[in-house]
Amino acid sequence: MSEFNFNIEEANTLWKRWTLNAKKYPNRDAIIHWIAGEEPIRWTFQSLIEKAKKFSIHIKKHGIEKGNVCAIVMRHNPNFYPLYLGISRTAALPAVLAYPNPRLHPDKFRQGIEGMSQRSGLDYIFTERELEPIIRPLIEKPGSTIKAIFFPLEWDTNNEIDSKLDNEIEENANNVDSSEPFLLQHSSGTTGLQKPVVLSHRAVLNHVKYYGKAIGLKEDDKVVSWLPLYHDMGLIGAYHIPLAFGIPSVQIDPFQWVLAPVIQLEAITQEKGTLLWLPNFAYNIYAEKVDEEELEGIDLSTVRRVINASEPVRHDSHEKFAKRFEKYGFNPLALTAMYGMAETTLAVTQTEEGKPIPELPANRNLLSNGEFKFANENSVKRICVSSGKLIEGCSIRIVDENRNDLPDGKVGEVAVHSVSMFDGYRNYPEKTAEVLENGWYYTGDYGFKYEDDYYIIGRKKDIIIVAGKNIYPEDIEDAINNVEGVIPGRVIAFGDEDEKMGTEQVAVVAETKYETEDEKKNLRLNILKAGMAIDINIHKVYLVPPRWLIKSSAGKPSRKANKERLINGNDPQVWSK
Amino acid sequence: MISPELKEVILKQLNLDDFDLQDETIAPQVPGWDSLNHINIILAIEEKFGIKFKSRELIQLKCVGDLQKLVDSKLGK
Repeated sequence: MSEFNFNIEEANTLWKRWTLNAKKYPNRDAIIHWIAGEEPIRWTFQSLIEKAKKFSIHIKKHGIEKGNVCAIVMRHNPNFYPLYLGISRTAALPAVLAYPNPRLHPDKFRQGIEGMSQRSGLDYIFTERELEPIIRPLIEKPGSTIKAIFFPLEWDTNNEIDSKLDNEIEENANNVDSSEPFLLQHSSGTTGLQKPVVLSHRAVLNHVKYYGKAIGLKEDDKVVSWLPLYHDMGLIGAYHIPLAFGIPSVQIDPFQWVLAPVIQLEAITQEKGTLLWLPNFAYNIYAEKVDEEELEGIDLSTVRRVINASEPVRHDSHEKFAKRFEKYGFNPLALTAMYGMAETTLAVTQTEEGKPIPELPANRNLLSNGEFKFANENSVKRICVSSGKLIEGCSIRIVDENRNDLPDGKVGEVAVHSVSMFDGYRNYPEKTAEVLENGWYYTGDYGFKYEDDYYIIGRKKDIIIVAGKNIYPEDIEDAINNVEGVIPGRVIAFGDEDEKMGTEQVAVVAETKYETEDEKKNLRLNILKAGMAIDINIHKVYLVPPRWLIKSSAGKPSRKANKERLINGNDPQVWSK
Repeated sequence: MISPELKEVILKQLNLDDFDLQDETIAPQVPGWDSLNHINIILAIEEKFGIKFKSRELIQLKCVGDLQKLVDSKLGK
């Protein structure tokens, strides 16, 4: 077993690192593009670089310049990877955006892109021909930042390359400094609240070094992932880290995975995968929603670490997963947890491999009052699961509402400092000023420290996390406000724990004057449809009479107070389904 | 044509009183039919009809009509 070794000085930008890897391991698989039921398509480090060069020449010829933001909106395609690398070679910034689900209304998709372009200044969109009618009007709109739309899958990248242009691009790529921006990603939100995070080469390379060390990356590791690449865990964890470190990653289509989750287990078995990142709900799916017959021949004995992140880690999900898959060779001590965010590239804390994840039985009442104390036989208990210890290059402070430090065991907001920190939200100084102060990023998450472990127990903001995807309740409330029958401004959305699926689900409470059963059923259906139009699945609808919702001191309906009232109460005025 | 039995299982899982399910209907057109619910719908169909789907078969489904055909073929219809 080789010791972890990653020297940033050898190659101080991602393009230099990838080309170095192509020299060091020309024939090693870089990306194994997985398609269920077919032979995977394999890019070696060398073939990937060669194709990326061809893409970069097209990109250059289309007039794209250093610093331009190039959004990629594409389905699972083997040419995605060389295109992405090719953009980076021209010193432009790749930004992966989600391909629109057919559920999403085209206008909403357009609005989303438009919102992003105003904030992050998207310059170009690389997409598939199918989306042209939806995206084209955006370019023609006055004031649009988007200059052009391209269909790179139609480009001829098989011919010889123009060596003069190739040399010019390479020379420019070699002059890029590590402090310059490398990529742009959107931290969360759906239609109106995306926050564009720009990361420098240095931030990402530092992350490969320090997070790679924390998870003990090895030359014979292999990542197997279905995570979408517009999500930080997929993009950084399962794509950039292996690619920069020089190990293979298997990339599965997220749309195929949700239809047939077993394909990830098949890929692990066939490719002898060692490392996975998974959001919590996936453990429940594997434990309970995959038929036993489908698991014939599955072998998970090569997996040395599964990293649970991007939604709260639930003790039961891990237990169920380990119990089911032990007979398929899975080592329960491979279960680990991570805490992180796009603003710090990815990880801040990580639990250790080969040891059970620390768990603390806390007194729930004291915890709600801001203090961790062990539960005794008389107290209501809450099991807190550790998110791990700090990775090198990161620091955490737990602070009160005035951003003053709190002692260990006290619950407060988590503030992070990291060598892989973002430089602020792009074109969003007011939001940046809100969360960034003297080099500390105030995360809005609540947690506490006990011994050397950090426990994240809640959030200051009312974000709902469904299957690893962050959803702002404001987005849902705005959509529901326009539904006929709902009293405008009298709607709240919140996250409801779904223990069976191991995630949260969206619940909506709306005031209405409707009284009959038929009117209410119809209204519920229209509320569900309004959610669908912004690609959000509303799981439960509560309808209440006018003036039922409790208001906060600011005069707006309070999400927290009303959620508690609904869950604890049994009010006959509440209609729900 | 979508059989009343199949329709009933799907609507029950989605907690819908009624919804016009046609052969060409696709999941994103039906309120509540997202990826998490899809898994539950498939399991409920398996239970109701006493059949088992293979993941390969599930990946190829494009619309409710495809699902109906798959169920019928499993039932030897």
